[in-house]
Amino acid sequence: MNALEARGIHKRYGGLAALADVDLTVKNGQFVAVIGPNGAGKSTLLNVLTGLAMPDEGQVLLAGQAITRMATNKRIRAGLGRTFQHGRVFARLSVLENVMTGAAIRGRLSESDLRDFSMEIIEQMGLADVAHEAIMSLSYGRRRMVELSRALACRPHVLLLDEPAAGLNSGEVDQLIDRLAELRAVHGLAVVLIEHNMGMVMRLAERIFVLNFGCKIAEGTPAEIQADPAVLSAYLGEGYAHAVV
Amino acid sequence: MAMRIPLQIATAIIVLGGISGMVLPEYHLRLLNLSLISAVAVIGLNFAFGYAGLISLGHAAFVGMGGYGLAILTTTCGWSPWLAAPVAIAATAISAGLIGYPLLRLRGHYLALATLGLNVSFYIVTSNWIAMTGGTNGIARIPGLTLGSFSFSGEHQFLWLALMVLALIAAAAAALHKSRLGREMIAVRDDEIASEMTGIDTTRIKIAAFVLSAICAAVAGCLFALHMRFVAPEDFTYAHSITYLAMLIVGGEGTIVGAVLGAVLLTFLPEWLRFLGTAYLFFFGLLVLGILVFLPTGLVGLGQRLSRRSAKTPLLASARAPEATS
Repeated sequence: MNALEARGIHKRYGGLAALADVDLTVKNGQFVAVIGPNGAGKSTLLNVLTGLAMPDEGQVLLAGQAITRMATNKRIRAGLGRTFQHGRVFARLSVLENVMTGAAIRGRLSESDLRDFSMEIIEQMGLADVAHEAIMSLSYGRRRMVELSRALACRPHVLLLDEPAAGLNSGEVDQLIDRLAELRAVHGLAVVLIEHNMGMVMRLAERIFVLNFGCKIAEGTPAEIQADPAVLSAYLGEGYAHAVV
Repeated sequence: MAMRIPLQIATAIIVLGGISGMVLPEYHLRLLNLSLISAVAVIGLNFAFGYAGLISLGHAAFVGMGGYGLAILTTTCGWSPWLAAPVAIAATAISAGLIGYPLLRLRGHYLALATLGLNVSFYIVTSNWIAMTGGTNGIARIPGLTLGSFSFSGEHQFLWLALMVLALIAAAAAALHKSRLGREMIAVRDDEIASEMTGIDTTRIKIAAFVLSAICAAVAGCLFALHMRFVAPEDFTYAHSITYLAMLIVGGEGTIVGAVLGAVLLTFLPEWLRFLGTAYLFFFGLLVLGILVFLPTGLVGLGQRLSRRSAKTPLLASARAPEATS
């Protein structure tokens, strides 16, 4: 069974077709990347998958169950997790409290159990030294790690990451890549990554979907995508294949 | 550990209120009682506005529902205030839930306008439904609260009732602040989309905040009716709602201490500015404006800023060093 599936998604904003007949399939535990130029419809696709935007046509299935019209918070409870392009954290809560809000959605855990479970995730993500700090005292990169920790605390089966490397320095990107690889190995998460950092995409993704002007123009392994003339022309650039070679 | 702060707040309220009760003259005691009643209402508003970010300009309507509920049940139905108060509070909570469900789909200014409309509607209904509410004449002869042979009618006696209720509400609010529901309310205010993405049912949380807010308002309304022994539409207008909001902002929204400070200060301020005659409103407005502009986090924020600054002073820091190491 597929962990997440989008079938024939159409989404229009007025006269603009943000998504036109887009399909996406993510198998259990698979690491998938969605790439494409700015305005290609990548974030709109994530919005449709998470219920922040309703598709005009098409269907979204999570573990075989139709969730197309389901409220966002119910999708999260059903096993979906997401982070945002600009990192959305709760500014008036501490790091620990941010993660606890995510952990709280699973059953009726006591406050001490919630705290313990959240601290485990915080330690895994390398944030133990700032667990009780105010969010706004952290660097941008660490705030994004808090957001990721909060999403993980919801114990998702499928994690959607919207440009997690945006605004991070190269050291932080390397750390993020290691963490994502580790998390996937430990938790067996399926991941959908939207990213412009091709180094990160090629290192982590098993399968890549390419969008351009709201349409899927290619799908394949990293090697196939790097050699695809349509992708090179629309996004990666003709020089990319030579640079990789 | 979790109950330390709520207990400290409750103790501080009772001790400070008790000491004030011993030194204040009768008239100021009356003002203190009114300020404590307002503080209960403002703590309620803090749930909706301070925690969940719901701009309510109809809070006085819920205070009125509590007050009128108690007044009608005790005078028309002849119930004991001990029975009438919980029924009036429960009825207000149910009304808030029913009103909140459609209303809380609105956001920001639209919600503010809708709640303002609610308050205006409440005023119109209470002014014109003469058979039930007495119209603009209001409802008089509300029985006072008694416990055995002890009556809470006098200002001194009522002070202890008001202090106990306020301490209880403040402690409960402080405990809620650190609870799962409190965190969810704050999360919804900080970022509604991120809250949904964390699995929080934002509609449910907003309704919960609105209902909790109305419950505190109704408690304040019951206290008001028991204190004044009279309620009228003029006591629950939208101007009162705006005053509650001003109290919260001046004191420091999002904090229990701020809600209490703001309520006490803005109740006493007109009295302190009485020497200005009718011009006091101008200075009152100017002061509130000044706090809004220069102290956006209210008096509590000023206190925090001053304590941080004093902690950085070398003299104080060196004086504290031995304590820290001992």
